[in-house]
Amino acid sequence: MTDRQDDATLNLEGRTLNRREWLAVTGAGIVMAAATPGVFAQGTPKRGGVLRVSGSANPSSLDPATGGAGTDHTYLWTMYDTLVEWDYDTLKPKPGMAEWSYPDAKTMLINIKPGITFHDDTPCDAQAVKFNLDRGRQDQRSNIKADLSSIASVDVTGPLQVKLTLLRPDTALPAILSDRAGMMYSPKAVREFGNDHDRKPVGAGPWKFVSWADNQKIVVTHYDKYWRTDRGYLGGIEFSIIPELATGLRSVVAGQNDMAYAMPPRLKPIIEKSKDLNLVTGPTLYCLQIYFNLAKKPLDNVKVRQAINYALDREAFVKLALSGMGEVATMQLPKSHWAYDPSVATLYPHDLNKARALLDEAGFKSGFELVVGGYTDQDSVRRGEIIMEQLAKVGIKLKFINGTVPEISGQFFGNEKKFDVLLSAWTGRPDPAMTYGLMYAKDAYFNAGRVEVSPELSTLLQESRASENMETRKQVFAKIQRIIMEQGLVAPLAFTLEFNAISKKVQGYKPNLLGKPKYEFLSMAG
Amino acid sequence: MLTAARRAVIRRRLLQAVPVLVLATLVVFGLLKLMPGDIAITLAGENATDERINEIREMYGLNRPFLVQYGSWLGHAITGDLSKSLASGEAVATSIARSFPNTLLIVLLAMGVAMGVGIPLGILAASKPDSLLDRVVTSIASLGIAVPSFWLAMILVAWFALEWGWFPATGSVALGQDPVKALHHAVLPALALAGGGLAEVSRQLRSSMVEYLSSSPVRTLHAKGLSPMSILWKHGLKNVGVNLITVATLLFNRMLAATVVVEAVFAIPGMGNLIVNGALHRDLPVVQGVVFVMVLVVITVNLVADVLYTVLDPRIS
Repeated sequence: MTDRQDDATLNLEGRTLNRREWLAVTGAGIVMAAATPGVFAQGTPKRGGVLRVSGSANPSSLDPATGGAGTDHTYLWTMYDTLVEWDYDTLKPKPGMAEWSYPDAKTMLINIKPGITFHDDTPCDAQAVKFNLDRGRQDQRSNIKADLSSIASVDVTGPLQVKLTLLRPDTALPAILSDRAGMMYSPKAVREFGNDHDRKPVGAGPWKFVSWADNQKIVVTHYDKYWRTDRGYLGGIEFSIIPELATGLRSVVAGQNDMAYAMPPRLKPIIEKSKDLNLVTGPTLYCLQIYFNLAKKPLDNVKVRQAINYALDREAFVKLALSGMGEVATMQLPKSHWAYDPSVATLYPHDLNKARALLDEAGFKSGFELVVGGYTDQDSVRRGEIIMEQLAKVGIKLKFINGTVPEISGQFFGNEKKFDVLLSAWTGRPDPAMTYGLMYAKDAYFNAGRVEVSPELSTLLQESRASENMETRKQVFAKIQRIIMEQGLVAPLAFTLEFNAISKKVQGYKPNLLGKPKYEFLSMAG
Repeated sequence: MLTAARRAVIRRRLLQAVPVLVLATLVVFGLLKLMPGDIAITLAGENATDERINEIREMYGLNRPFLVQYGSWLGHAITGDLSKSLASGEAVATSIARSFPNTLLIVLLAMGVAMGVGIPLGILAASKPDSLLDRVVTSIASLGIAVPSFWLAMILVAWFALEWGWFPATGSVALGQDPVKALHHAVLPALALAGGGLAEVSRQLRSSMVEYLSSSPVRTLHAKGLSPMSILWKHGLKNVGVNLITVATLLFNRMLAATVVVEAVFAIPGMGNLIVNGALHRDLPVVQGVVFVMVLVVITVNLVADVLYTVLDPRIS
C-alpha cells in the first residue's frame, strides 16, 4: 500500500506479459508510442556523462535492510545489485547475481556468480550472502525480518553456494530476493561503519556512493570493477531531492535536471509542451484503493461493503482523478496479470439502485457517516473529493482526516485503529501470495481490523505458497480473489501509469512494471 | 564603541535570551509531541509489527517521559551537540551548517533589494506628499504587500526561468563553491521574497519622513538655507533611522520565516525545507535544532538592532 512503499515486484512466473496487450486493455497505446524503449536506443550506448535526476524523496536509509520507504529503491538500485532480478515488462524473476533452485519444497539453493566484488573490493561470495541474509533475519535494526521469516537457517555449502533451509514451503522467495532482501551489502563495511552504514552504502552495483546531503543531493559515480559490461554506462548520477513533483518537473523543463519520475497525470500537458523532453510512460501494479477496517461497524456487514463497491463509478474515477490515464481496477491485479480472473471483474458494475437496496437490507436506508483517513497532497485530496461525491449518492457521507502518508497509514493499520476506511494505494508485492497474505491473513498488518475473514481463505493463502506450478497457483489465486471481492474486503479503484519526463539527451530508458526508474541501461547522447 | 550603556544593553539582552531559548524549544517540542503521528512507525518501515514499532521506540528512547526527552535534548544542545536526525541519521549540526547559508544568502539579498529600492522610493514619495509620484509609489507599495510571495515566485519562475531561461528555476549553489553561480541561483527567490518587504520599507519610511518634514526643526533647517536634498538625505534619514532599523529588524526576522514558502517553490535546500521535512516526519532533533538556531539568530539580530538604536539616538539606553 501507500506511496512510500516497500515492495512491489510482481511475480509473473511462466508467462511473458506483452506490453502491447497491456496497452490494448488500458487504452494507453498513444502515450506509449512515444515511450517505446526503441525510440531512445541509438546504436551502442556511449559510456560516461552524468545524469541529473530530480528525486522525489529523501531516502529513509541507504542500507536496504534498515530503510522502509518504497521511494528508496530508485537510489538503492544504483549502488546494489540483487541476487534475483526481474524482467522489466513482466517482473518475472530471473537470475541476478545468483541462480536458484529448489531441490525439495523446504530447501532452496543459491549459486552466486563468480567475480563479483563490492565497492570496497571485497568479494560478494557465499559468506557475504549468508552474512546479509542472517543480518536481514536477525539484526535488531532490520526492517526485512518479515520477508525472510520462512527461512530456518542459512548454510554455506561452497565458496559460491548457500543453502536455505525453510520452515515451510515458500515459492515467493525468489521474488523476495529481487527486492531489499536480495541487495547485498559488503560485510566488511557493515562491521567497520557500525550504525553509520545507513549513510555509507557499499554494495556491488554499477555505481558507487559518493555523497548524500539530506534533502538536497545524492551523488554516485561509476564503479570500474562492476561485474557486468552490458550495463551501467553512465559515468555518474546526481539526484537533486525535490519532493514537490511540479517543482521537480520545472527543474527538468528549465534544463537543470535531465529527468523527473513519478509525475502525476495532471502534469502530462507540461511535459508534452516542452520540446526538449520525452514523456515516458508505462503500466504499473500501483492500485489506488479503499481499505476497510473490517472490525468496525458498519463495515463488519458484508452488505455495506458490497454496497460501497456497487456505488463507486470507477470509469468516472479514472477520468477525473487520473485524467483517463489508468486502468479501472476490479480486483487487485490488472487485466494483463497471469492470475487475473475475468469472472471476478464483472462482480461490481456501477449500480446505484443495487447499492441502495443493499444498504436498505443492511438497515442503513438513510445512510451513515464514515471517517476516512487520507493524505494531504493535491492528488490524494482530489481523489478523496471524487469518492466523497460518488458515495454521497447512496447516502454515505465521508468525513476526511488528512495527514502525511506514514502518519495516517500508521494510525489506520497500527495500534491506534483510527478511521473506518483509508483511501490509499497498494503498490503490489513480488508475488500475489504476498499481496493477499499481507492484507487478508488474520494478523496481517494491512488487515486493519485483524479479522479472520474465513477459514477457507486462510487455508488458500497457505496453499498459494506451496506449489511452483503456475496453473495450480493460478487456480488458488482465482479462488482467493473471488472470496475477497465477493466479501467486498476492499474497494479497488484504478491502476496508475508510470509518468516520467526525460530529456532528449538521455537514451535507453525502459519503464518497468514497478514504475520506479532503474538507470542501468541509460546513456547520454552525443 | 562599547560604552557602559551599550554593554548593559547587551548583557540584559543576553540574559533575556536564555528563557526565550528554553521556552521556544520547549513549546515546539511539546507541539510536536501533541501532534498526531509517530516517527517510530516511519522508521519501522512497511509491514511493521506492533512489536517492531515498540522496539524502535525503545531503541531511540521515544517512550521516555516528555520532560526527560526534552531535558536530554537540551542538555546535549547546550554543549553544542544537536544530535542526529532520527529519519536519516545525519548529524543535525551538519544539516544546519549546509542549509543555513542557502537561506541566509536569499534573505540578505532580499533585504538588500527591499532596502535599496524601498528607501529611495519612500523618500521620493515623502518629498512630494500627495503628488502623482507619491500616489504611484504608495500604490506600488500596496500592491507589493498584497501580492503573496509564492505567487510572485511562480510568476518569476514562469517568465525568467522557464520562458526566457535567464535564471535557474530550482536549486542553489553554495557561496563558497561558486559565488557567481550562487548569486545567479539566489536572484529569483530573493526577488520573490523582497516584494512585500520593499513595499513595507517604502511605506514606513514615507510616513515617518512626512511626519519629520512637517516638524518645526525642519522649518529651522529651511530657514538656515539648507537644500531640500540635504534636509531629506542627511537630516531626514538620520531622524527616521530608528524607525528604519525597527522595520529592517522585523523584516529580516519575517523573511527568515517566509523562506519556508519560497524555498519550497524553488526547491532550495535551506532552513525552511529542513524544518518542514523534519516536522512532516516528526523528526524531533531536526525541528528542535532548526528552532534553536533560528531563535539564536533572531536574538542576535535584535541585539544588534538595540545597539544600533543607542548609536543613532544617544537618549536610548
